[in-house]
Amino acid sequence: MPSSPSNETSHILVALGSEARTLRLVHAAFRMAREQGRPWIAVHVEVLGWETAEEADQARVWLQEAHELGAEVVWIKSSSVVNGLSVVVQKWRASTLVMGRSRGSGPWDRLEHAKSQELLRRTHDLRIVVLPLDVSTATDAAPRTWSDALSILAASGVLLIVCGIFAAALSVVGGYPAIPGVFAIGVGFILHRWGWRFSLPATIESLLIYAYYFDQPRGVLTIEDWPKFLYFSGTLLVVQVLVDLVGKLRQETRAGRRREAEMVLLMLLGRALARCSTEQEVAEVLVQRLQSLFQAKAWLLIPAERDTWTCLPESTDMPVCPPPSVLLPEFGQTTVREDPLEPLWKDGCYFVALASTRGTEGLLQLKLSENARFSQASWGSLQAFTVQGALALERVRWVETAHAAHLENETERMRSSLLSAVSHDLRTPLAAIQGAASSLLLPSDSLPTSARRDMLAMIHDESEHLAQLLSNLLDLTRLESGTIRARKEWQPLDEVVGAALRRTEASGKGMEVRVSIPEDLPFVPLDEALAEQLLINLLVNARRYAPESPVDLRAWGSDNTLELEVADRGPGIPEAFRERVFDKFFRVPGSVGEGGVGIGLAICDAIAKAHGGRIWAEERSGGGAAFRISLPLDGKPPALSDYDIPIQE
Amino acid sequence: MALPLILIIEDEATLRRFLAPTLLNQGYQVIQASTAAEGISMARSYNPDLVLLDLGLPDQDGLKVLEEIRSWSRRPVIILSARNQERVKVQALDLGADDYLAKPFGASELLARIRVALRHSVQSLRPEPIFEHGGLRVDLEKREVAVNGNSVHLTALEYKLLEALVQRAGKVATHAQLLADVWGPGAEGQTHYLRIYMAQLRNKLEANPTRPRYFLTEAGVGYRLNVEE
Repeated sequence: MPSSPSNETSHILVALGSEARTLRLVHAAFRMAREQGRPWIAVHVEVLGWETAEEADQARVWLQEAHELGAEVVWIKSSSVVNGLSVVVQKWRASTLVMGRSRGSGPWDRLEHAKSQELLRRTHDLRIVVLPLDVSTATDAAPRTWSDALSILAASGVLLIVCGIFAAALSVVGGYPAIPGVFAIGVGFILHRWGWRFSLPATIESLLIYAYYFDQPRGVLTIEDWPKFLYFSGTLLVVQVLVDLVGKLRQETRAGRRREAEMVLLMLLGRALARCSTEQEVAEVLVQRLQSLFQAKAWLLIPAERDTWTCLPESTDMPVCPPPSVLLPEFGQTTVREDPLEPLWKDGCYFVALASTRGTEGLLQLKLSENARFSQASWGSLQAFTVQGALALERVRWVETAHAAHLENETERMRSSLLSAVSHDLRTPLAAIQGAASSLLLPSDSLPTSARRDMLAMIHDESEHLAQLLSNLLDLTRLESGTIRARKEWQPLDEVVGAALRRTEASGKGMEVRVSIPEDLPFVPLDEALAEQLLINLLVNARRYAPESPVDLRAWGSDNTLELEVADRGPGIPEAFRERVFDKFFRVPGSVGEGGVGIGLAICDAIAKAHGGRIWAEERSGGGAAFRISLPLDGKPPALSDYDIPIQE
Repeated sequence: MALPLILIIEDEATLRRFLAPTLLNQGYQVIQASTAAEGISMARSYNPDLVLLDLGLPDQDGLKVLEEIRSWSRRPVIILSARNQERVKVQALDLGADDYLAKPFGASELLARIRVALRHSVQSLRPEPIFEHGGLRVDLEKREVAVNGNSVHLTALEYKLLEALVQRAGKVATHAQLLADVWGPGAEGQTHYLRIYMAQLRNKLEANPTRPRYFLTEAGVGYRLNVEE
């Protein structure tokens, strides 16, 4: 073939039919195009009036696959395959045509041969590559050498001679009818064992043996002999046709069974994967199934944060291989597509990328037992497996994404309710401060001293109120973000209660608090600062809603818990809201207390939880609200004798 | 005697606008710095009687400034900090700060702390043998304690703790400082030990332990022997 410079970059054309085996043709053409670095075109010629709708649909599927492998796709309608192909070849100036060929040397092959001759005649510089498409079988798997063929011929000759001797022996007893049967068995065996190429010569050999040995007189076919001779040769041919048919049927049954088993496995895998809700579970299912199917060790590598990869299931016996970040470019998610014909082989392991619509979901690493390689068929089913795995991983991740989005929504909702609450509650005291301060700054001295003092006092009170609000907000944020942990220390409850009382009393506006703590209450494990804040919030709350009546603070020890109660004689909390009052920014509708934003109790809740305890609201008998706190008393209070501290006296 | 000189190291102009006139009005002299570097150099050149130090300075950690000043001066330093920063407060106090004020604070609180701190710095030259506040009277020379005229018997350790508090009267004393004073080095972290003796001291000296008049709790920091009414 004359090599023109355009050959290196000219297109490879592949003619696709509609049969199932066309897929192999697509893959072969893809591989050829990749090896030679040339563009390729997949073409289907629809012969007008000859193609059924099903065939057209199937052909579209193959074209789609070719398209995904980077081929340009052409669908052409023409009066004949040769016409259509020559049009395409000329239009794209293709230099190579890849075609499929059925097995054997029947009349169809000659027809295809004629087709290619016709094409060659019509187009210059076209090289036609004809690929055998059939799944290889035992009969003509490997191309035979001449010496092989000769030895098979010799073997079949010997076999037929044995048949002849046997037939001669039988014919003595059974007469003529036994002879064709014996030869039929011999030729049938040859066909079954070595195929048509050797059974046809064997047939001729049998005929010759018959003609020269069994026919009377030998070597001369008389008119009377013809029916017998025809009967003999007919028997041989019919037997061969039957043997061939049975062989094909058996092959197809085998293939069908294999497909069926594969379908069932896939179905089972799909069902198992559908139940998975985390990446770990997906990985476990995949790895377990692959291990049982291919007798291979398998690992799933999943992208984690910042270019690192997690290996599932976690194991120590994973062979050392290049990290996925190095391997991934070889899969050519960006440049070259993964080879559809065999998996990536590196350092004794196979790698398969789990590709989904979003990109690479993960990487499957397989280690077969010693020196084993994947066969074409098992690679096909492995691909089907990985597709299922990729889909499952993608689904799991979408679920996670959806969950994250939901959380974000919730946070956003919180933020906006915080903004509206804070902006209102910050603005009110600020307006008062600004107003009072500006009127104090007025040049006229007409304001009476008492009014001036009043305004100053208001500025003081309102700014204190603002400070309280801000520190509450800060506390809540820090408690919720988990930056504050309760640092429990054993201490007398009196001390914490005393500190809380002093701080509430220091912030003006007297309030009567009746404290009742049993004298013999042992030390309790508390975070001093947090517990103080909790009590302050409850006391401030009580003062806000029940300013006139005294507040009762009681404490008592119970089985392994410290019980606290802060009770007032205010309006109480309607039962419907007793749980929600601990929600952030929640205020009982229509409540009279001023200046609350609805975070004080949320802080109490967070503090109680940080101590491993809980807080709840009750109705106080006789009217009012009662807040109950229950904190665990874990461990034992340290006794003095437990510590051997030198006393310097 | 010259008027006491106070150095304010604080980056917020608003706060300085409030602090400086308030202090001037009370008869102190005032100098101001808005950065750590400026503060350190002013402290060196003026040797003020007292420093008000904000912990959140733009150029350097306030604790570093404190360390720097403490490397050559024993003059009182009062820390200005945000509330909720117990750990930082304790750190500053253990590094040698005399007291702290949590923002926001009022003028009366500020002046009281300054008075106490200045008194201590003068006292350290000639310590007063007798502490008296409200009904509580402690005679350090005779080792006698009395509440409302009634003599109270204390164990040796209780007295030691009381003595440590009296020596810091009005100022906050951290858990670590008290433990070191009473039990010696090596007792840090045994705060429950301190709490037990504090509870005993309160039971003996306070009329109502849940409403202490003398021994105030600074939650998360330590204790303060009250000198204000």
